Amino acid sequence: MITTSNLTKIFRDKKRGEVRAVDQVNIKCRLGRVFGLLGLNGAGKTTLMRLLSTTLKPTSGTAKVAGYDIIQKPEKVKEKIGFLSNDTGLYNRLTAEETVTYFGRLNNIEESELKGRVEEIFGTFDMDEFRQTRIDKLSTGMKQKVSIARTFVNNPEVLILDEPTLGLDVVTSRSIIQFIKESKKLNKCVLFSTHIMWEAEKLCDDIAIIHKGKILEVGSLNELQAKTGLKELDDIFVEIIGDNRGE
Amino acid sequence: MNLGKVKTIYLKEMLDTLRDRRTLISMILIPIILFPVLMFGMSAVVVMMIKKTEAEVTRIVIIGKEFAPDDFENKIREQDSTEAIIYYDAAELKSEFTSEKLEDRLEDYQDSVVAARLRERQIDQSLLHPIKVSKRNLAPKEKMGGFMLARFLPYIIVILAMSGAMYPAIDLTAGEKERGTLETILVTPVSRLDIATGKFLTVLTASVITIILSTTSMSLTASFGFAKIGQFASEQQIQFSIKPLSILLLLALMFPIACLFSSALLSVALFAKSYKEAQSYITPLMFVVILPAMISFLPGFELDWRLVFIPIVNISIAAKEVLLGTYKWGFILLIFISTFIYAGFSIFVTKRLFEKEEVLFRT
Ligand SMILES: Nc1ncnc2c1ncn2[C@@H]1O[C@H](COP(=O)(O)OP(=O)(O)OP(=O)(O)O)[C@@H](O)[C@H]1O
Ligand SMILES: [Mg+2]
Repeated sequence: MITTSNLTKIFRDKKRGEVRAVDQVNIKCRLGRVFGLLGLNGAGKTTLMRLLSTTLKPTSGTAKVAGYDIIQKPEKVKEKIGFLSNDTGLYNRLTAEETVTYFGRLNNIEESELKGRVEEIFGTFDMDEFRQTRIDKLSTGMKQKVSIARTFVNNPEVLILDEPTLGLDVVTSRSIIQFIKESKKLNKCVLFSTHIMWEAEKLCDDIAIIHKGKILEVGSLNELQAKTGLKELDDIFVEIIGDNRGE
Repeated sequence: MNLGKVKTIYLKEMLDTLRDRRTLISMILIPIILFPVLMFGMSAVVVMMIKKTEAEVTRIVIIGKEFAPDDFENKIREQDSTEAIIYYDAAELKSEFTSEKLEDRLEDYQDSVVAARLRERQIDQSLLHPIKVSKRNLAPKEKMGGFMLARFLPYIIVILAMSGAMYPAIDLTAGEKERGTLETILVTPVSRLDIATGKFLTVLTASVITIILSTTSMSLTASFGFAKIGQFASEQQIQFSIKPLSILLLLALMFPIACLFSSALLSVALFAKSYKEAQSYITPLMFVVILPAMISFLPGFELDWRLVFIPIVNISIAAKEVLLGTYKWGFILLIFISTFIYAGFSIFVTKRLFEKEEVLFRT
């Protein structure tokens, strides 16, 4: 579960002055559902996700993730989430197995259970073939698999995925989509951001449109269609954003 | 602080660091080979130069040949005095060498002429030298060796302590930002303090390994290699052995400075966004270290109440004195304490930087 209340992040930028990257955001992502964040470049998607993963501290407002407050209990929040973005790279000089083991340890998995857990993960994600291979020798698709395995090592309740399919080929993208669907079946709460409309259409139970840090509209695809009287998500998106261009 | 987490991070960073070729070169290879290469390189060059000049046939031109040898020898035979002018080019090493050789020969000849004339007049030679001056060097052999080593070793080791820590420090901070691995570690349930501590210990280890390897390499090179040049350069064989206590103290003195360097390098490199940017910040920092470290080269500086508080300068002078076998325990203790205080302050800054999102997510 993710619940935010007036979550706000203001950056002070020398050239641009105050940037309200996340502005009074109130959203609710439930277990067993996929929540999609749609927004243009610079809309504030990454910042919102970083706030929820507690790597950034909010300027005001707060949020509860998996039952813990992001300001009061950041370590607990981190224990319960899996966070994946284009900025979460892997250590090139470690092997796939060393990587998963390392992140397992950091996620407080007991030494006695660690081996079993790593075994399980390599089985689940079908990665035995490159288990002892160094990350820098892996293809982009294989790396993404290791990243997902890394995200999953603590069996997180909440998944926060920032544009997980960016720069991937069709086959690898499909495997990510598949992975999100399976996570949903496992009753996890998935928050994911994208620019790709059909991905959102296909996957999301709830869609939020974020623009200049503000959530303009939230709802299921049906609700958004009803509200705007449009059918395609890209039309709906442009319509909603368009209303707010002027400000 | 969670020691288990710190250990996990430390072990992983060490593994990662030991797999990095750049770090291996600066941390292990350079400190091992620098001294032997310097020493043997230097002695080889000296030996070569001496051999070459010895082997070379030098040509001289005698001007006024028509007077020599008859006129010249006649004057001498007649107990008269005459003149020989050596023309040479002081800007040419060979010419200078030859002129010195020629002068030596002429002086030898003059001595023999003087001796002959005195003999003729039945005068004893000692009349010309009423005082016989002779010098005896009382410095023990170790001190002679130490004297040469002590001048440049502290300097080289201080610089190696810094350069050994440099690549890991950049790699573990700016390098991680560049490769995007910093955010991966920040989203794990590990406190920033634990991350910073694990990284600090890794960089410190690299620095300490560099110091130990270079000190060992230097001691071995000194005892094997230097003896040879010593033999060659002068009759009195210089012994380049250093007391074990001096070596231990040198290592101990370097420890707080390794702490200071490690945390300072981490802070600077953490601020940078990329490997390149970090290098461009650290290069000027290198000069800030090199200049005060050079004080061990300069004669006349001794530890006093002011110098013991100047970082790097104090270590450099103390290391020099220790290598010479002078142990000023009070000052050494003060240097330890003051350097640890500076290092502690620097570590505190590093910790604070790791907690600042403006630094971690600098755009
Ligand atoms: N660390 C930072 N310091 C200053 N400004 C920042 C920082 N991070 C983000 N911003 C600004 O905040 C705004 C939101 O950025 P954010 O990265 O969250 O957008 P995004 O929706 O993820 O965009 P994209 O689709 O390009 O990834 C932008 O104007 C960005 O320039
Ligand atoms: Mg983004």
